[in-house]
Amino acid sequence: MIGESVPMLDSVARVTGAVDYMINLRLPNMLFGKIVRSQAPHAKLLKVDHTNALQVPGVVAILTGEDLGANAFYGVAVKDQGVVAVDRVRYVGEPIAAIAAESLSAAEEAALLIDIEYDELTAVFDSQAAIQAGAPALHEKSPNNIFKHAKLRHGDLDAAFAAADEIFEDTFTSPVAQQASLEPHVSAAQWDGEHLTLWTASQAPFMVRKTLSEILGIAPEAVRVIVPPLGGGYGGKGHIRIEPLVAAMARKTKGRPVKFVLSRAEEFVTVTKHAASITLKTGVKRDGTFTARQVTIYWNGGAYADASPMLVPAGMVRSVGPYRIPAVSVDSYGIYTNLPPAGAYRGAMSSQTTWAYESQMDIIAHKMGWDPLEFRMKNLFVSGEHFATGEELHDVHFVECLEASAKGLGASPSPLTPPPGGEGKRGRGYGVMMKSTVATSKSQARLKLMVDGTVMLYTSTVEMGQGGHTTMAQITAETLGVPLSAIKVIGPDTAITPFDSTTSASRSTSMMGNAVIAACGSMKKKLFELGAPLLETPPDQLRTENGFIVADETSISFGDILKRNNLNELDEAGEYSTSLGLDPETGQGVATPHWHQGAGAAEVEVDPETGRITILRYSAAAFAGRVVNPRMAQLQNDGNVIFGLGPTLMEEILFDGGQPTNPNLADYAIPSIRDIPNELISICIESDKGEMHGIGEMTLPSVAPAIANAIEDAIGVRIKDLPITAEKILQALREKAEK
Amino acid sequence: MILNVNGSKHEVEAGMRTLLEVLRDDLGLVGTKEGCGVGMCGACTVLVDGKPISGCLTLAQQVAGNEILTVEGLEKDGKLHPIQQAFIDEGAFQCAYCTPGFILATAALLNENPSPGEDEIREYLSGNLCRCGSYQNIIKAVKTASEKARQDV
Amino acid sequence: MIKFLEPTDFSEATSLLDQYAEEAKVIAGGTSVVMMLQQKLIAPSVLISLGRVSNFDFIRHEKDGLHIGALTKLRDLELSEVVKKFCPALAHTFSVVANIRVRNQATIGGNLSAADYAADPPAMLTALDARAQVQGPNEKREIPLSEFFLGFYTTALEPNEILTEVIIPALPSSARAAYHKYTSISAEGRPCVAVGAFADFDPDGKCLDLRIAVGAAVETPQRLMEAEAMAHGHALTDELIAAIAEQYAQALDPLTDVRGSAWYRREMIRVFVKRALQEVRDDR
Repeated sequence: MIGESVPMLDSVARVTGAVDYMINLRLPNMLFGKIVRSQAPHAKLLKVDHTNALQVPGVVAILTGEDLGANAFYGVAVKDQGVVAVDRVRYVGEPIAAIAAESLSAAEEAALLIDIEYDELTAVFDSQAAIQAGAPALHEKSPNNIFKHAKLRHGDLDAAFAAADEIFEDTFTSPVAQQASLEPHVSAAQWDGEHLTLWTASQAPFMVRKTLSEILGIAPEAVRVIVPPLGGGYGGKGHIRIEPLVAAMARKTKGRPVKFVLSRAEEFVTVTKHAASITLKTGVKRDGTFTARQVTIYWNGGAYADASPMLVPAGMVRSVGPYRIPAVSVDSYGIYTNLPPAGAYRGAMSSQTTWAYESQMDIIAHKMGWDPLEFRMKNLFVSGEHFATGEELHDVHFVECLEASAKGLGASPSPLTPPPGGEGKRGRGYGVMMKSTVATSKSQARLKLMVDGTVMLYTSTVEMGQGGHTTMAQITAETLGVPLSAIKVIGPDTAITPFDSTTSASRSTSMMGNAVIAACGSMKKKLFELGAPLLETPPDQLRTENGFIVADETSISFGDILKRNNLNELDEAGEYSTSLGLDPETGQGVATPHWHQGAGAAEVEVDPETGRITILRYSAAAFAGRVVNPRMAQLQNDGNVIFGLGPTLMEEILFDGGQPTNPNLADYAIPSIRDIPNELISICIESDKGEMHGIGEMTLPSVAPAIANAIEDAIGVRIKDLPITAEKILQALREKAEK
Repeated sequence: MILNVNGSKHEVEAGMRTLLEVLRDDLGLVGTKEGCGVGMCGACTVLVDGKPISGCLTLAQQVAGNEILTVEGLEKDGKLHPIQQAFIDEGAFQCAYCTPGFILATAALLNENPSPGEDEIREYLSGNLCRCGSYQNIIKAVKTASEKARQDV
Repeated sequence: MIKFLEPTDFSEATSLLDQYAEEAKVIAGGTSVVMMLQQKLIAPSVLISLGRVSNFDFIRHEKDGLHIGALTKLRDLELSEVVKKFCPALAHTFSVVANIRVRNQATIGGNLSAADYAADPPAMLTALDARAQVQGPNEKREIPLSEFFLGFYTTALEPNEILTEVIIPALPSSARAAYHKYTSISAEGRPCVAVGAFADFDPDGKCLDLRIAVGAAVETPQRLMEAEAMAHGHALTDELIAAIAEQYAQALDPLTDVRGSAWYRREMIRVFVKRALQEVRDDR
């Protein structure tokens, strides 16, 4: 069962359009919600007058800052974000009011009649500009707009730089981008007295529950969060999004449910990928080894801290790279600007940091006359070595990942008709990624065995297309010893499924997987105890198989064990957690329960007349440990590379005075079937005895640097600012020719 | 007005609503969805007289009298359409938000061209976006469906 | 409530348009108009649908050239053997518009009337010297496509006129055409630069006639008569091609948008005018 490519459990629903996404939710007496948003990037709110809006027929209630009490502000770490803006707006698109009406058109009509008066303040959009003296301070608590400064100090940096033969200093940038799941954010809420039920497309139901309980002043158990399958998450549905606003709105509709569906344009002002400017100062010796690395990262967190206080330190450890470097220093800054809040994004922080360190690897290699592949192989960590946090690395296979990717490219370039107008130039490039997962988190699972042999698996892991539920069912089937068909996966529903920190950071297969294994262990133990007298065999000589407890000569079905013991059901739980962390001043400690590892190798062809590139072949290898479902793992690998082409070549939210100018999928392009590499090779490096762990992000961050490195190999130009557009390449070629 | 959907006639008060809105809100056919609202993503793909169009860019009133097929209309007597089965067999989806659109586009493609080559498949499906990146398996599913259809003839 | 009117012929349609004036919007395939309605860019009180106008969905190769009814779908034009035989580059032009769903809905009349600067058919049809037949409540007239596009989303149509037919003059058998659509970001994107080229040659390979229209880079498709004239009586050598391309690159004033800056577009005009010319020269 583990190791089998079983189809997703609800495959039939997926191909018949029957999956119950949030967009399909209909409740009796349901109202339609519409958010009224700020037009100014930074302003005091002088007036929010909804008198006229309330007169619109069909409008039932309107929420403004006046309705919010003491708990108007929330945030997973820093409570700086208003449920709706109270006295100040800090980005174009920030919610100022919300309307609940009998129809969406009534709500939209009312939205136009909300009278808002702004007293505009100076706005700042660039993170490095925001920390200069004189820049407007967005929040009183952070007068220089730095809301988080994560530090890592390891070894004697000055001495190490002094010992270097060559020092390289390069800055790499990533722009603001969007997760752009096809399903937008959708949430619905209904109050029953002081009890709230919230349905939402979220990756973190318990985080939502906790935040709502705090804002609304009710016990967590009084908040029920239900999450159906998502139409994509990619980090954009992580942490807290529109749930507080929807819950607060529903509090004013006298028990009627209200549902909010964001439009595509609204998605661009709801959550983004952090823009980042990363400077790497790296010292190397002529013998091909590193002496030191100093990293300075300016993360553009947008107007509110949101998840950044956790992501900025994560970005810190993810910025060093998988190489043996004796002295390392990192300063990772989370900075407020008047842009929409940035949140988690697939390959969070690693997307931006791997772009930096893997690009610099080739810059160094070229300057020093080294082969880029050999330079990496020589310096990649192996198991048993220690990282810049001081932690020992176990089960790391960076070398194998890189070798497999490179091998996947093949010995000679793949054939392709040269682009019209002339010979294309071909080149190859590589990238290796080292990423932490969540250091401290907990997953719980519950199993309920029914008399008919059905096994209910209660889990708060969110199904967002990664096959999370199928994976957990496969683990249950194998560990407990029941047919897959006997298992029903239920959840997330915080009223009935136990705690899980979040479905993100590729943590679930490992964390929830281990919780499920623990629950299975408890259930087997109980079944053996109950079955032993019936089979007249000691418990330690029993085993499970296909829904039966089996002794040498006899067996008995799980269901029969219950019946014979006069039990209607058997309930067992399991838990798995990790609690790790780093010293806040030095970044020393343990960053992660295990390291995620992936590599990529790209062969590209550049049309030197236009700068347009064709990806002839891309080979992506991830260390997958013990793979539960090979085909789902291949889909994740493929999906990562294809997703990664977006920020590499196409994706950038453009702003004018804080207003997105391309908030639609025609002007903000995401990869189509004709944009994918001519050949895409996906490799999962498995290890039967290895741990099971996630694969949701492994091969994404390497895409951008592998392609930039291939371009440099092909035509000798280096692009340091994403996205890598044809125009940037042509511009760079012209500049090179002029020198 | 009368809409002819999946072989049945339905009386609807469409007003100025799009075909997508009427299918979802009035007829409960929720497999067709909006992803972008500008005709780029294909999540709203519907077949009108066998041809794929964007439900989000068509007014219901424009297709009175046409034969409309949604993903719900592909199953016959509780049995999956061979294309639907091929998508399952090849694992051609992840979150599956885009999947009904791809399946309908594939049905139209194989109707026009029963044995398309890979380039033809990419061309025909180029307007259907999959953010999860299942394209490689989708192409496999189309090939499988076309081979199976030829075997079954 | 918006009225949805369905005239059955163009006379009825134009008199409705005349009657309702600014309150009305004509809708053909709907891909443009429905998007504008959904995004609240327009708020007509009347939609005049051409969906029930019959007899204007035709493709006819007549002695004087190709006649296309305004309500013909782009997909039908893409697949038409008549169009492919008449001018393969024209069939290719229709085949690269947007995606298959758009092509199944959009009509050639709607496409031209929308005058979207980033559309494909306008540049190619301009290079082929096409003409638009338009009808008002009282009269019909012809407008050469070179005079049809006036600016962003603006045509020479009077408010009460509707485009009824597109006529492309007969092409000599010695003529060749090419259409190059350059997408700079995604393969599915709108063009950064588009070039439609038409050339006629004598038996010795000397150019008798040359027309090049550059689209997507400026407000409306642009031809440069002086540059085209450079080719008359000469073989299209690489040097001559480069010189013509250079003229286009220098003379046009390209725009900046998400698909490219003015600088980049200027560079791409040079590249793709050259490539289109090479194709008409070499594809004989």
